Amino acid sequence: MYIAGQLIAAMLGTLAFVIIFHAPKNEYMFCALNGVLGWLAYLIFMEWGAGVTIASLGATLILTLVARVLSAIRRCPATIFLVTGIFTLVPGAGIYYTAYYLLMNDLALCTAKGIETFKVAGAIVLGIVFGFAVPQSWFNQLGRKEKHVGK
Amino acid sequence: MVVGMEESQRILKLAVAMGEVLLKSGGEIYRVQETVERILEAYGIDDYHVFVVSNGIFATIHEDREDRGSMVRNVPLGSLHLGRIAQVNQLSREICSHNCTVEEAGERLRACQQEDDIGWVKKVLAGGMGSSAFSYLYGGRGAECVVAFFLGMLLMMFVQAAEKGNVSKFIINIIGSAMVTVISFGLSAAGLLLMADKAVIGGIIPLVPGVALTTSIRELFNGDYLSGSIHLADALMTATCIAVGVGAAVRVFQLFGWAGL
Repeated sequence: MYIAGQLIAAMLGTLAFVIIFHAPKNEYMFCALNGVLGWLAYLIFMEWGAGVTIASLGATLILTLVARVLSAIRRCPATIFLVTGIFTLVPGAGIYYTAYYLLMNDLALCTAKGIETFKVAGAIVLGIVFGFAVPQSWFNQLGRKEKHVGK
Repeated sequence: MVVGMEESQRILKLAVAMGEVLLKSGGEIYRVQETVERILEAYGIDDYHVFVVSNGIFATIHEDREDRGSMVRNVPLGSLHLGRIAQVNQLSREICSHNCTVEEAGERLRACQQEDDIGWVKKVLAGGMGSSAFSYLYGGRGAECVVAFFLGMLLMMFVQAAEKGNVSKFIINIIGSAMVTVISFGLSAAGLLLMADKAVIGGIIPLVPGVALTTSIRELFNGDYLSGSIHLADALMTATCIAVGVGAAVRVFQLFGWAGL
């Protein structure tokens, strides 16, 4: 029940950005799928006790790889799936809590939240970088139905 | 391959115009550069130089010949339009497999630029849906999600109205996040909300710089340091503005003695 609620929320959240950013209509569901998979990976890593940073790293890595697979299958730039799916992992809450505790003069919590936000942002960076380090040729076979020109 | 003078100018114009649409819609730098180069090549121009940064395209062709040409375009950072990226990508693919003349391509490029926005209402509804979904993901329940839904809609309306009036992006972010915070803390003070923070987090999600962050990372690690820094600065400024807006609103409530809600 809990998982289902989380996944539906992740799907709706991703879909909102899909609409706001004018993604092509045919790709709506694939973008949403990517967002859901990213959040599912995050939940699994968290359940496993990996901590926020590692969970963000792993989830971003999976999200990036799925975006590239979808890009090869759907013959559409990977950005479309990546940019919309990643919103579930971006530390929006971190920004809020950092600002909140700073203004509340609770400097210990502010520092803790601020550093956590930076760590999560760094983890997302690494996840994307590792995800794009995998050579393109591994994905090309997936979309071989037509002659492949360009990325 | 020798192409006529006018012809080569037309090709250059088309290639740069496609690059411009891509860049404005939020395409990655390497994609813009590659697209412009591939189109020039596909139409038989093999002596070219193309330089792309986040907010500009520079291109020259046939420097040592009679039909030389150059083009510079200033492209201000625009709002993301993924559909256009996909369409231009498809068009460039067809041009590369020689299925499309210069005129046809120009026609199709104009068509995809004219393709309308999805519309004000849908965007506002999407903002509401996103806000309430993220409020739920961050631990909000019933009341918080409902409040976040309306906050998200309100925020999207504000953002769109302000963008139409050419208000600075920083001001939009500060006022938008302050507005969200004030309303949810106000409702909380009135006893309607248990967790104001969850509603705020959901509410400010449409402002969070996820795209700028992602783009800047990819550009930095592609070696496009200049473009990457521009987008990173954009992401950091946006995050700071959100923090300032939230902070200012929290401070006001603190002064009135409603702290700790």
